[in-house]
Amino acid sequence: MANASLGESSLTQPPLTQRPAGARISRRGLERLDLMLLSVEALDLNGGEAMVWMAAQLGFGDLFPNRVELWKRRCYNPLRLACRRGELSEPETDALISLLCALADRLYPMLRQLLSSSEPEAVTDQRWGLFQGRLEELIRERLNPRRGGVQKLLDPAYGPQLRRQLIHGLAFGAGHGGFDRLKASLMDASA
Amino acid sequence: MKLSYRFEQTSCRLRLDGLPDYSAGQGQDVIGILTGWELSLAGHPALEGKREHLAALMQAVLPYARHLVSGVPRRFGGEDNPVQIQPMEGEASVMSHRVLVRSSQPDTSPLELAFDDAELSDLVRCLDQVRLDPRVQVDFALPAEQPLPRREILERIPLRQRLASPLAAMAALAITTSIGLMLPLPRRPAIPTANPAATEARPEAAVDPVP
Repeated sequence: MANASLGESSLTQPPLTQRPAGARISRRGLERLDLMLLSVEALDLNGGEAMVWMAAQLGFGDLFPNRVELWKRRCYNPLRLACRRGELSEPETDALISLLCALADRLYPMLRQLLSSSEPEAVTDQRWGLFQGRLEELIRERLNPRRGGVQKLLDPAYGPQLRRQLIHGLAFGAGHGGFDRLKASLMDASA
Repeated sequence: MKLSYRFEQTSCRLRLDGLPDYSAGQGQDVIGILTGWELSLAGHPALEGKREHLAALMQAVLPYARHLVSGVPRRFGGEDNPVQIQPMEGEASVMSHRVLVRSSQPDTSPLELAFDDAELSDLVRCLDQVRLDPRVQVDFALPAEQPLPRREILERIPLRQRLASPLAAMAALAITTSIGLMLPLPRRPAIPTANPAATEARPEAAVDPVP
């Protein structure tokens, strides 16, 4: 595409961290955030321990000193069995998103394998099947089966699309560069 | 002194060539003036161009990835843009992405590339590395990431599903109203003070003389 011209070279680049001050993530956003963390646990058998370790590595040791504190923040997901009312503060949600981005970065080779179409279909199907099995096990253990959102996740018709959506969120939100993308997505208006 | 930096992510490799912009006070290891770049993608022809072309690629691919995370992928880059990207429904559940690269050189047909999700995420991560690297201080005119408005989110819900609830509500209202209209009106209860027999009896009693 050599020598194509845009004619917009004088545009200034706003900072990518620009966002409305004091804007919080809605309950719907917290639900997606926790489901993505649950997907990380489904992909990594040691996910729970990895989260606490990663939180300490990222400097969030004060916010999430142990698994219980992390679990308490994740219980703001309205689909949880032990659901908590209210909203999380911005530093807490930012810490959870940073944690998720770092974990997704660590698991990126697995995420890529799931999304790749270059490998034999049987192998890809087996990978998705393994992920589905572990995720459904975690969902039945921790989420409220009477909620419509949980039933949709376990539904054979809607489930695959929702699981793919979760993996998309992790793959495109992985790493330092994915933070703003993922945060803006979690702050989307509810339909 | 010419600088060259390389950014890699699995199936994607991007090489940037440039010079420091000393007039902007940049250090000698910072690319401030981008003289050229080359993007190598496994299984696809290599792309190369100038700063404007890399900016066009980033301006199309990064917002597209942003929309993909929200589950509402849509086309980015117009007919006159050097880079255009749009979703393409492929086999089964594997969604592919079509990237159209137009050259301004005469008699050169546009180059069409089809990426799967994994290749696209490699490209996005590679572009993220460039965007966030402090050694690259080039203005790519990227818009800030913003939450999507309700209008754009609604697009992912099919029209039938979106209209189902209001239509059901209107039908329920119509049925309830028609049932209500079919019911007979209750009779007005007799009010003791408004009883004509009682009011008429009293004057008669007064007029009628006692024998």
